[in-house]
Order: sequence, then structure tokens, then C-alpha cells
Amino acid sequence: MNIINKFFLKLALLPVGLYKRMGVNIHQLKSILHTKLTMDDRRPNTLHQTQRRKNKPVSMATLGTMVMSALLGLIYLFAFSIGSNVITNLTIYFSLFFFMLSASLISDFTSVLIDVRDTFIILPKPVSDKTVVVARLLHIFIHICKMVLPMSLAGFVYITTHYGIAGSLFFLVMIAFVTSFAIFFINALYILILRITTPQKFQSIISYVQIIFAIAIYASYQVFPRMIGDANLGSLDISSKPLIILYPIYWFACCWNVLYYMAGSSNEIIAAVLGLVLPVLSLYFVVKYLAPTFNNKLAMISSSSSEQAAVVKKGQRRASYSDFLAKLFTSSAAEKMGFLFTWKMAARSRDFKLKVYPSIGYLAVYVVIMFMNSKTMSLDQVREEGTRGKVLIISALYFTSLLLTMAINQMIYSDKYKASWVYYVSPLQKPGEIIMGGAKAAIFKFYIPIVVFITLAGLSLVGPKILPNIILGLFNELLIATVVVYVSNKMFPFSVYQNTNVKAGSFLRSLFVLFISGLIAVGHFFIYSVIPVVLICAVLSVVATWMMMGSIKNTSWAAIKSRYAEE
Amino acid sequence: MEPVITIKHLFKNYGAKQVLKDINLDVYPGQVIGYIGPNGAGKSTTVKILCGLLTDYEGEVTVKGLDLKKDTLEVKKVIGYVPELAELYDVLTPAEYLSFTGALYGIDENISSDRIIKLMSAFGLAPNIDQRMDSFSKGMRQKVLIASGLLHNPDILILDEPLSGLDANSVIIIKELISKLAKEGKTIFYCSHMMDVVEKVSDRIVLIDEGRVIANGTFEELKQQQGDKSLEQIFSYLTNKDSLSVTADELVKALES
Repeated sequence: MNIINKFFLKLALLPVGLYKRMGVNIHQLKSILHTKLTMDDRRPNTLHQTQRRKNKPVSMATLGTMVMSALLGLIYLFAFSIGSNVITNLTIYFSLFFFMLSASLISDFTSVLIDVRDTFIILPKPVSDKTVVVARLLHIFIHICKMVLPMSLAGFVYITTHYGIAGSLFFLVMIAFVTSFAIFFINALYILILRITTPQKFQSIISYVQIIFAIAIYASYQVFPRMIGDANLGSLDISSKPLIILYPIYWFACCWNVLYYMAGSSNEIIAAVLGLVLPVLSLYFVVKYLAPTFNNKLAMISSSSSEQAAVVKKGQRRASYSDFLAKLFTSSAAEKMGFLFTWKMAARSRDFKLKVYPSIGYLAVYVVIMFMNSKTMSLDQVREEGTRGKVLIISALYFTSLLLTMAINQMIYSDKYKASWVYYVSPLQKPGEIIMGGAKAAIFKFYIPIVVFITLAGLSLVGPKILPNIILGLFNELLIATVVVYVSNKMFPFSVYQNTNVKAGSFLRSLFVLFISGLIAVGHFFIYSVIPVVLICAVLSVVATWMMMGSIKNTSWAAIKSRYAEE
Repeated sequence: MEPVITIKHLFKNYGAKQVLKDINLDVYPGQVIGYIGPNGAGKSTTVKILCGLLTDYEGEVTVKGLDLKKDTLEVKKVIGYVPELAELYDVLTPAEYLSFTGALYGIDENISSDRIIKLMSAFGLAPNIDQRMDSFSKGMRQKVLIASGLLHNPDILILDEPLSGLDANSVIIIKELISKLAKEGKTIFYCSHMMDVVEKVSDRIVLIDEGRVIANGTFEELKQQQGDKSLEQIFSYLTNKDSLSVTADELVKALES
């Protein structure tokens, strides 16, 4: 336990008299909190969830979280460079604060704060319900403090230096308000999700929400700096926007402003009053309506999974879309199995989705921004296949393959990697066929849909004459993908445990692949208009891909097992 | 002698589904109860009720003369529970985890740390006492779990498949431990699917099926009622409606096509 946790533990235990009067066992309360905080310290947190894993045990996770939060808080300061008045600044600052806080809380609530193991560990012990509830609330309080305090530090310093003590005091009050609103928001979201779905599906829906948050945050990082470049932003006055009065975060900004200057327009005063009322109302709602059912419902998430699995309706198993693709594009039984297995795991594994789906979103954001930036470009240019049009088509073809590389790199990892014994006990002649099947599944799931979309768009804009170039692009990408599999990913799908070292390696590898991809794209650009050359290259590319696929299929046990032993 | 656990007309529903249908049971101090039944018979529900995890049941359950519903905390104090799935906070070390457990039972810290060291050494885990449990094998975790059930020296010990993951030597230790604890007057509620072990360690065997007690007596009594068979055979005779050898035949036939 480090000094920070000790401090928070002391702080939380200050009102001992009050707890005692409530009938809480102080000794038990202290040991529960102590244990929970110790565990928090050893658990990788959400902010750097992507780069976790435990070659060396995590012991200072708390400090890590706090440093990360403080850095984030520093980034929010750029909000004060936008807009002509402090209301605008604060609205943007509080918005960033609110969304980042919600994004971390949404996963922490299930994974950290409500630990399902408590049912078996704490509840059979002679601990009163009150003690458990108070311990849980204090744990949540400490957890939120650990994020909110460092996160607001930079803003606090800024406000103090610019607006003095009074300004900073009001600022702290507003931070508390925004925080309570974020808690309300997350609680309400959880209840809503639990209402519309079964507890079993809850986890996967939460991960979709996390994915959306990740994409939104990425988009805001892309969009805001561009907006700063926009000259108009310096004079932006958010109060002049028509519907801003409906935006709760704006209320908090107004509230600060009215409290500080003791003046404001009628709209601002209304917003300020709303800003004062909202946190009170939302806290009331959380305590009165959401919290009681909340814990029970979350407990259901764990308990219901242990109850009997729902009986799936009997009936003929229909051949699905994936079965159809597998039949068409795989040649042996092992390859087909690899294809179907990877297809289904990619669709159902939370772990895989959390890693790959956000990058789909990032890509989408990037594409939108690319279009926004090139206002000067018109569809006519694409139609005429002018230089800009060519660049667009080629970058669409090659850039989107990032997704494929991502998926192929991620495909071999799984939290349930131990289940891969099933491959190693099987009497397969050519284990490479399974790997090829898996790679094909990744190709069909993550690249072919994009290619189809590009082809349709290209056909409608340019006409059939675009086809040779699309074919060349497609097969070049497939060639790169198969080379990646052949050179570095000769592992069965979902059979490897992911740790940080591997991650670092795969990042460099991705960069390298990106570089090669870029080189080929440049080459493609130069031969773009010379159709015979394009056709010859396309044929070469097809042949090379074909040969690569053959080599992958022929991967022997020796090649795979040696890597298995290394793990 | 007064029974230490009394269960009278115990019913429990999950929604519309009734899992326990009128369970009646008296357990006396120093007894080892082998509590057996097929999957879904209501074994773990009974255990959860006895541990005070489920309180919305109908009927009367008293432990040492205390009503389980009213004096839940007092009852929990005298019960030691070893759950079936190895549920542990595995980022903690055994020392940390066990002293946490001790604190929840309100044991004096010095006594608790003394007991922890002794228990862990007896289990051969002394070198691992300050290692995080996430690297532990299943057997090691199980030992910590058993230690956490014993730590507060409970009068009643509820064991749910306590031998899973343990090696042969540890199994012998636990079996001996059970009979020694029973000799000291402790009551042991032993749930398991391993009939041969239950047959050996239990003074009394309680067999439940579909929420009802269908056999209750010493192994000798059961043998007298059902003919001279092993517990395994008695179990399958009493709980199975279809012939098991027909099932086995079907399994073999399934491979022939």
C-alpha cells in the first residue's frame, strides 16, 4: 500500500463516529477498504489497459492512474485557448472532463468497483450489510477522487492564477458538480442497458459503449486541433449558439460565471440555476432510485451466468453466411475449420472486439476528416481520374488495409489461449491449413467488405475501366497480408497469450508493414494510367499471393511447435 | 444431544422454479454429513442458505439454536465455508488474503498471523506465503481456500468439493483433517460428487434429488435398504430413471456410424 492510498484511507475513515452511529463495524470496514485499495494498486487500470500485462507484477497502478489523469488534465487546458469568453472556455473544459471521466468510470464500475467475487469472499463472513454498503461507497468515492483530483489540478492552477481564490473555489465546486453528473450519467446508462438487455449480454454491450467512447475521444483529438487552426475560433462565443441552453455541461460553465461575476444575461442566469439544481437532482436520483437496484442488478450479472444456460431452440441448423463463404473459399476440412473458428471468435470474443473494433472507428474518423479537409476536391476529379482522384482511389485501397493488418496481428491472441491445446493434440497433416483458414476469415471479415464498397463506388463514378487498378490494389494488399502471416504470425488463431513485449514487437512490425504498403502504393500510383502494365502487375500479384498461400498451408508442425515452446 | 443444525420444511424458489421442496434435516455435533445429489438437485442452494448467502427462503433453519434469518451474522461467525470454485482475490498474497479473512471474522491480529503461518507451513506453502496467488496452481489455491475456511476455528465447516485440484498426498491430509475435526466435536457438511470419498469420510449420507431428501442415514443403513452395493451404485439406482448402461450403449453406438 502506498502513501496515496494510505492518505485516502485515512480521509475516508475520518467520520468514524458517524459510521459507528450508523451501525458499521469500523474494524471490518477498514480491512475491506485496505484490501480493496491494495488490489487496485496491483490492477492495470483502464487508461492504459491497452498496454497492460504482467511480465512484472503491477504494484503502483494507483500512481500510474493519477499521473495519467494529471497529464490528461493538462491537455484539457487548451480549452482556455478557444473562444472569446470564460463561459466558452469552461464549457469546453468541463465537456472534456465529463467525457473522459465517464469513459473511465464505465469500465471501472463493473471490473473494479463491483467485484463479483465479493459474493463468495465477503458475504459468507459475519459482516453486516451496512458495513458492506459503506465500504463499497467509500471505495467508489476514493476511486473517483483518485481520478478527479489530479485531472482537475491543471485547471485549478490555471483558474487560480487568472481569477484568484474565489474563482478557484467556485471551480472546485463545479468540478464536484460535473463529477456527480458523470456518476449519475453512468448509473443511468447502466440501468438503461440492464433494462433493455439480459445481464448476460451486459458485458458485451458495455464493451461496445467503451468502443464508442474510444472512437469519440480519438475523433475529438483529430478534430479539435484542426479547429484551433481555424481563425474564427478565437472569437467563438458559445452563449450565442441557439440551442446551447439545452446542453447540461454549459449550465455548469454559466454557473461558475454567474457566481464569479455576480452578473450575466438572462439565459446565462437560467442556465446557472439549472446548473445548481442538476447535481442535487442527479445525486438524489442516484441515491434514491438507482443505487439500491444498481448493486442487485450488477450482482445478477455474475449470478445468472452460473444458472442454467438457456435452451436454444431446436431445429435444423441453417447454413449461415460464413458457412457459405467457407465452402466457397476454402479447400480442405482443416482450412474450413480454421476459417469458421476465426470468423466466429472474431465476432464473439470481447477481447478481440475491444482491440480491433476501435481501429475500425479510427479509420472511419480519419476518412471523414480526409474528405472534410479536401474541400477543394470534387467528385469530378475522381471521375476523370486526375492526379487527386488517383491519390484518393489508391489511398482508399491501401490505407484501409491497415485494418486487415490489425486484425491479422490480433487474430492469434486470446485470453483463453490455453484452450489451444486442442490444436496440438490433433493429428493434422498440415497445421498450416488452419492458419490459412484463419487468415482468410480475417480477410473476408475486415477487408473484402471495404473492397466491395470501393469497387461499387469506383464503378459508379469512373466505370469499368477502374477495375484493373482495384484488382491490382486488392491483390497487392492480400500479398502483403499473406507475407505478414508467413513471416511473423505462424501461429494458430487465438492461441497465444498477449503480453507487452509481443505488443511492442507487433507495433514495430505494423509500422514496417505500413511502410512497405506505402512504397507499393507509390509504385502503383506511377503505373496507374498505363493499363497494360497494371494488368501485368496484377497477374504477377495474383500469382505471388497464390504461392504465398500455398506456402502458408504447407507450414509444418516443426515451424509452429518451436514457437509454441518459446511461449 | 441437541442438533447443531436444524432444517425444517425448507422451500426455495428461483422465480417460478422450485429448487428445494420441503427439506428436513437434523445434524448433530461431531458428525460428518456427506451431502450428495446429481447436478441441479439443489445442493449448492442448500449450502448457500446455510452460509447466509440466500435469506429469501421459506421454512426454518436454526444453527446452534439461532434462527438463520434473524441472527445471520452470529450464525456466520460459527461457520467456515470453502466454496467450490476457487474464488480468491488472486492479486493478493496468501498472507494478505488470510489476514483479511481473519479481520472480517474479528480475530485478534496476533492470533490470526500466528495461525496463518502455522496453517500455511502445515500445507507446505510456507515459501509461497508472500507470493501473489495469480501464479498459483489450482491445488495451491485450494489449500489457501481451505485455510481461509479454518482460520477462525469454526464449529461448523461447509466444504464444497474441497479436494478438487489437490494431489494424492494432500487428499489424504484433508481426509484425516476432517475426521480429526469431527472428533473434536466439529460438524462437517461435505458436498461432493466423488462417491468413494463421501463413502469413506461421512458418518451420515444425505442424498437429495430434485429438491427432496431421498435417502438419509449411515452408509451401513443405506446398504441394508438398497442391498450390498457401493455408494456409487446406490446413488445411481436412486437418482436415475433411465438405465445408465443403455446410455453408455447409446454413446458407443453414436461412434459406430
